Amino acid sequence: MKHRKLGIRKEILTDSDIAISVSNLSKSFQLPTEKAFGLKQALFNRLRGVKGFKEQKVLSNISFTVKKGEFLGIVGRNGSGKSTLLKTLAGIYYPENGEIIIDGNLIPFIELGVGFNPELTGRENVYLNGALLGFSRKEMDAMYNEIWEFAELKEFQDQKLKNYSSGMQVRLAFSIAIRAQGDILLLDEVLAVGDAAFQKKCEDYFESLHGNQTVILVTHSMENITKFCDRAILIENGKIILNGDPKKVAKAYKNLWS
Amino acid sequence: MNIPRVLNKKNRVLLSELTKTDFKLRYQGSVLGYLWALLRPLMMFAILYVVFAKLLRFGSDIPHYPVYLLAGTTMWSFFTECTSQGIQAMVTRGDLIRKISFPKYIVVVSATLTAVINMLINLVVVIIFALINGVEPSWSWLLVPLSLIELYTLSLGIAFLLGAINVKYRDITSIWDVLTQALFYAVPIIYPISMVIESSMLAAKVILLNPIAQAIQDIRYNLITPETVTTWNFINNTFLQILPIIFIILILLFAAFYFRKKSKFFAEEI
Repeated sequence: MKHRKLGIRKEILTDSDIAISVSNLSKSFQLPTEKAFGLKQALFNRLRGVKGFKEQKVLSNISFTVKKGEFLGIVGRNGSGKSTLLKTLAGIYYPENGEIIIDGNLIPFIELGVGFNPELTGRENVYLNGALLGFSRKEMDAMYNEIWEFAELKEFQDQKLKNYSSGMQVRLAFSIAIRAQGDILLLDEVLAVGDAAFQKKCEDYFESLHGNQTVILVTHSMENITKFCDRAILIENGKIILNGDPKKVAKAYKNLWS
Repeated sequence: MNIPRVLNKKNRVLLSELTKTDFKLRYQGSVLGYLWALLRPLMMFAILYVVFAKLLRFGSDIPHYPVYLLAGTTMWSFFTECTSQGIQAMVTRGDLIRKISFPKYIVVVSATLTAVINMLINLVVVIIFALINGVEPSWSWLLVPLSLIELYTLSLGIAFLLGAINVKYRDITSIWDVLTQALFYAVPIIYPISMVIESSMLAAKVILLNPIAQAIQDIRYNLITPETVTTWNFINNTFLQILPIIFIILILLFAAFYFRKKSKFFAEEI
């Protein structure tokens, strides 16, 4: 594979009032053109001089900053590059070009219940998921009861996860996720969980974050954008096309289809 | 990834939780559960024992041959389990790699640690059998961990190297399956090395330069009988004697370098 020169992503701790600064961030993926998985195909492609993949630019020249304590929304159509941006901020993907500077401890929730295993009990899954979020066994012990109370699932804690309904699983995952204490939270479409009563609880939680915590939220719900966010960014084809007032961004988002 | 961060608290917790999960899930839903960790290699041993020791009459010149055979098969199972689980670790844990940012080597190490736990359980069985069989406990037993570390280091190196390639080219899993089958016959596990010596000195020397053979023969020598032919007492060139160990170190270094370089792209390639 050819050498790829990588951009920078670093986490620092300073007193500046900027939490995240992204400059000229670009990212592309090598998408296999035909079935390029497998050694045989790779050899064939090499022999015929075919590259076997095409470069797909997912993010191009993205620059923005997030202030400490700011609640930033990111919106865009499916495939516009929102999730790639979030995953690059989270350190799951490496930036190809540009620079990401993160001031503080960043906690990403790209998906709820990462590592949940249906064959394990609720209790075992809580500890496993906690470890993946960076909690020690001791820290998990301390918040164990709160998690189950918030999820309202205490009587099921020793049942295997496969016996939970999908709504119950998400509620449990969400209850663990919100225990995470970090300076910056990255949230990807995790708002719509559970029934109406549980949604109310989640909204209260987001309300409580507002003003106290730096949050980046990726969502398709314009209601949440206007309700929680101080500022919003609209992404289309991997570029920022609008950065500003949530109401304006919500309007522009709806106009994408007209 | 600088050195102090390699095993910080967060990574240690993650490693131990993943290992526990792997171990719990391995025998989930089977009636005998963890007992299979013991039963599988014992049954394998029973088959080999009947075929090679009883029917083909191998090893009549080696004292305590059944235990000698059991020690070999146990270590071989450890090597194959360690490497195959390690190579596949990134694929089986792909959901984690795609969704959270963490040092990828943890996934490989946790998968191989399950094999280490299984091996340690089985080692206890080997020792019990050895005592029943009349092997005298000896100070040389204390040297066995060295060979275990050597075997684990080699397995880890292979797991890192092939595991990293396997992310993109899944053929590696099948290729390694076939290769281990072939390797099994290249290591004196079921046949005594004396059989090879009778027909060709050179072949026996080549066989003993294989790090797996060297480690297994050393374990047999230290644990069961000093009559075991080892790399050290059969090859008299110092450079050749330490060649297997140099090979292991080189593999691990190269694998670590390669894995580190490639692991940046695992999340998008898996």
